[in-house]
Amino acid sequence: LLLFACNFTIQAQDLEYSNGKKYTLGDISVSGNTTFSEQTIITYSGLRKGKEMTIPGEDISNAIKKLWNSKLFSDIEVYITKTEGNIAYLQIRLSDLPKLNELKINGVKKGKKESIIRENKLTKGVKVTENLITTTKNFLTKKYRKDGFFNTKIHINTIDVKDSIQTARVNMVLNIDKGEKVKIKNITFSGNTILSDKKLRKSMKSTKKINRIRLLKRSKFIDSAYQADLGHIIDAYKENGYRDARILSDSIITNNDKTISLKIDVNEGEQYTFGDITFIGNTVYTNDQLKRLLRINKGDTYNGILLQKRIADDTKPDAFDITNQYQNNGYLFSSINPVEVSADNNVIDLEIRISEGKPAYFNSVTVVGNDKTNDHVIYREIRTRPGQLYSKANVVRTVRELGQLGFFDAQEITPNFNNPNPVEGTIDMEYSVKETGSSQIELQGGYGGGGFIGTLGLSFNNFSIKDIFKKEAYKPIPMGDGQKLALRLQASRFFQTYSFSFSEPWLGGKRPVQFSTSISHTKQFLFNPQTRNADKSRSFNITGITFGLAKRLSVPDDYFTLSQAISYQRYDLNNYNTGLFTFGDGYSNNLSYTIGLSRNNTSVDPIFPTGGSSFAITGKFSLPYSLFNGVDYDALDAEREANDNIRTDITSSPLDVADASTRIAEIDQEKFSWLEFYKVKFSGEWYTQLAKNLVLRPKVEFGFLGAYNNARGIIPFERFYLGGDGLGNFSLDGREVIQLRGYPNQSLSDQDGGTIYNKFSLELRYPITLKASAKIYALGFLEGGASYNSFRDFNPFSINRSAGLGIRIFMPAFGLLGIDFGHGFDPLPGQTQKHGWETHFIIGQQF
Amino acid sequence: CSEYQKALKADGEGAIAEKFKMGEALYKEGKFAKANRLFAQIVPDYRGKPQAEKLMYLYSNSFYQMKDYYVSGYQFERFASSYPKSEKLEEATFLSAKSAYMLSPVYTKDQTETKEAIEKLQEYINVYPDSEYASEASKLVQELDFKLEKKAYSIAKQYNHISDYPASVRSFDNFVFEFPGSVLREDALFYRLDSAYKLAMNSIEYKNSLNGIIPLKRNRLKEAKEYSESFVKSYINSKYLEDVNAMVADIDEELKGYSTKS
Repeated sequence: LLLFACNFTIQAQDLEYSNGKKYTLGDISVSGNTTFSEQTIITYSGLRKGKEMTIPGEDISNAIKKLWNSKLFSDIEVYITKTEGNIAYLQIRLSDLPKLNELKINGVKKGKKESIIRENKLTKGVKVTENLITTTKNFLTKKYRKDGFFNTKIHINTIDVKDSIQTARVNMVLNIDKGEKVKIKNITFSGNTILSDKKLRKSMKSTKKINRIRLLKRSKFIDSAYQADLGHIIDAYKENGYRDARILSDSIITNNDKTISLKIDVNEGEQYTFGDITFIGNTVYTNDQLKRLLRINKGDTYNGILLQKRIADDTKPDAFDITNQYQNNGYLFSSINPVEVSADNNVIDLEIRISEGKPAYFNSVTVVGNDKTNDHVIYREIRTRPGQLYSKANVVRTVRELGQLGFFDAQEITPNFNNPNPVEGTIDMEYSVKETGSSQIELQGGYGGGGFIGTLGLSFNNFSIKDIFKKEAYKPIPMGDGQKLALRLQASRFFQTYSFSFSEPWLGGKRPVQFSTSISHTKQFLFNPQTRNADKSRSFNITGITFGLAKRLSVPDDYFTLSQAISYQRYDLNNYNTGLFTFGDGYSNNLSYTIGLSRNNTSVDPIFPTGGSSFAITGKFSLPYSLFNGVDYDALDAEREANDNIRTDITSSPLDVADASTRIAEIDQEKFSWLEFYKVKFSGEWYTQLAKNLVLRPKVEFGFLGAYNNARGIIPFERFYLGGDGLGNFSLDGREVIQLRGYPNQSLSDQDGGTIYNKFSLELRYPITLKASAKIYALGFLEGGASYNSFRDFNPFSINRSAGLGIRIFMPAFGLLGIDFGHGFDPLPGQTQKHGWETHFIIGQQF
Repeated sequence: CSEYQKALKADGEGAIAEKFKMGEALYKEGKFAKANRLFAQIVPDYRGKPQAEKLMYLYSNSFYQMKDYYVSGYQFERFASSYPKSEKLEEATFLSAKSAYMLSPVYTKDQTETKEAIEKLQEYINVYPDSEYASEASKLVQELDFKLEKKAYSIAKQYNHISDYPASVRSFDNFVFEFPGSVLREDALFYRLDSAYKLAMNSIEYKNSLNGIIPLKRNRLKEAKEYSESFVKSYINSKYLEDVNAMVADIDEELKGYSTKS
């Protein structure tokens, strides 16, 4: 670039810039050592015959700039060859930059050469500029220094190639002399009396002396980190009131080829304390309110870092500081400056000058990047609306909630502030989003349950039902209204399941009332031991339908959701005898009402939350039929017991046993004609970020199934099955499968299921990648839980414990996939040895 | 077809010219996808040669005909910058802009492409105001402009629908300011009034603020009244007139209470 500047100034001196005359361009010629055609160069320069321009002037320098930016030429000059009246003839003189012919790298292993070529783009044919040589040199020096090779030396030579080919070419020789790896042997301080050497060394975050025990940080010397650490030393003093502390000198002593020592001379100065702190310019908040935010009193040791943090903490966007107090209440244009007004006797009096500015209101609020999702789905979720007072907290929350929708890449939602207007007090907001795939297809076949099972599952999470009859909306499916549609078909020789579900998050578009419905039908055939096939004449059908409404609440706070659902299920038995029912022909109806209250403020990414918590409590109730249907269940219960005694008594005659069994079946049919029960569940989970990328998730769960009428008893449906991967596969009886890794599926409950369960789990998660195409995280878990058959057995501390490791991969098209290796520390029911290792495959389960 | 396959695989001296000839023939027959494959093979060979101008035009247009508007827009733009003296320059510029028009999605989605298309078409109209495509171009611009209007209008109307009346009023204000000549202006003014009216009717009486107590409801009623006046002034024969009159009557009734009190 230097070259260009030279040419430019020479020209400028020749013909004074201000004296430029207007010319019309005549012919333009090209000279110099170049292989490009004249026409190409002229076109590229932007100069063309007949153009009117001032010479000298901007047009010429622009032409030079354009050619220069092509990175193809050096020595670019533009001359006037002659003028005829007001016609100027120009000549462009330039020469091609040499291309790289051969590259030789000395001093590193073969394997490293390729990465050096790639990182510095030293491929054959690249134009060799001064810049390329310098940046390569700097890059490599820096890179090796970072790895501790403090004495690295890089030499680059270029040699012109002279042969028959016209183009200018050079060979490059890259000599790398890494030298020995240098470590810091010692760091010594002088001039410090208040803070010990040890404390000061500790304050240096990345520059450490050799210590064999310390594993996480190495004792490399990296200059930039060292400079930052010198600042950290000063910060350490500042935090203790020594605000005049400074580094007098620092030196690097080379002990030998392998080690260096650092010597740092500090001047501590004197300790200061806070004096009077006054606020100036505040009208919105009183002095007392601001003092409470500042939490610094007269007489405290002066701490500039703390002061800065209380005014504006840059490390935490949602910190409890004065700036956020203003920012969250509309004062976007506010600024807060602490000014030291006196420092007599080492007591610092402060004036905190506040310029509040006008409160800012959102003017226009827009969304860009929604290539699939329709506006109305997004705008209704936005909490910063036109005309509203600016609030940083609402912006943060909008970003969180748009991410939760699952239609956009949660990592890439950015709020952009446009056209800030402090005079009018307005600001425009633009949310930039990036769509991700939100449909999942599941197509699987496998062996299980005595035969081939085929599954076809389709779930569309951003469906548009109003477009299903529009041909042009199929790209490939109608999308963009935020509705969920799922279809699932599963079939084997023994059963068929069909299910369909649909949900609309804003029923009618007026309020956030989610409507959902699902229909399912299952047909199960009995295994025929003779033909080893399904016996089509003996079947068990379940048909169910559910309607639900979920409403977002604004009290106690607006993270709460109240949901209600009515569901009906009919079990139809057709000559089908299993352990579940004592009657082979008959039916059972399950009509229930579910009410749930949940609160969810997990953020930001629904796949990998890093903060917030989620609670849910639900109750599911059937009607208390026994209260009003006039059946004497006590008598029935007594009769059943009597019959049961006959049946199990070995002295009874076969005829009596048959009669008794028939009667039991009749009684059970009566008991289960309409299922009577209630079920209460609670779950809560918290997400906390322990370190930058480490998230801890504690979770508790509890469930209880009960009966209104003890004589009628607890139903054999709707029960809890604890253990295993927790995937709700094919199930007949409304059972709830509870995950507890480290044990086989459903192994920790009775065969008929438990009526109470509790579970505690701790999971530590570490993200490997959170890109939209695939999110991967590793996890470690500790969990424990147990299920019981009655409150009498209930003991929340007698649990089955386990621990293990796993990994989860989320890909938009496939949903969540994962594998967990769990170790069960307790024996399975009926066994005495601890269970040991168990592997779980997790498919499609999100939580 | 086998001849076509042969041409595709052909290599050597005469092959390039042969491909050009065949591609041109296919292009004339309307078999653009086939022609496009042949052209794609020979584009690098013709770079810098005089025939390249024609080839690049055919190549670009074959993308356009194949409805691959993203590529055709790019190729036509390249054509226009590479051959500023071409007789096809005007057409190429237009087709480049029209390709952008074709990429514009429905108004309920991101309108980045729409804005780009408007810019390109407008630029075309500015450069070639008398060309044969100028009227089509301005028609397309109008259509795209309407998309932007419809988008802003729908968002403002949605705020009304979800009962966020202040946001609706503000958005319709912005709409009226931004699209003064819109055909949706009547609807916009009506729904602005509707939002302001509902906001006022459901308002609390007073609000504490830094500047003392504000008679919130009264202010809002007055604002709604102003909106109703500006509506009636512009659209005396509006289909909304009955609704407007009903609202005005309500507002006046409410305001009466204040005038007697004070």
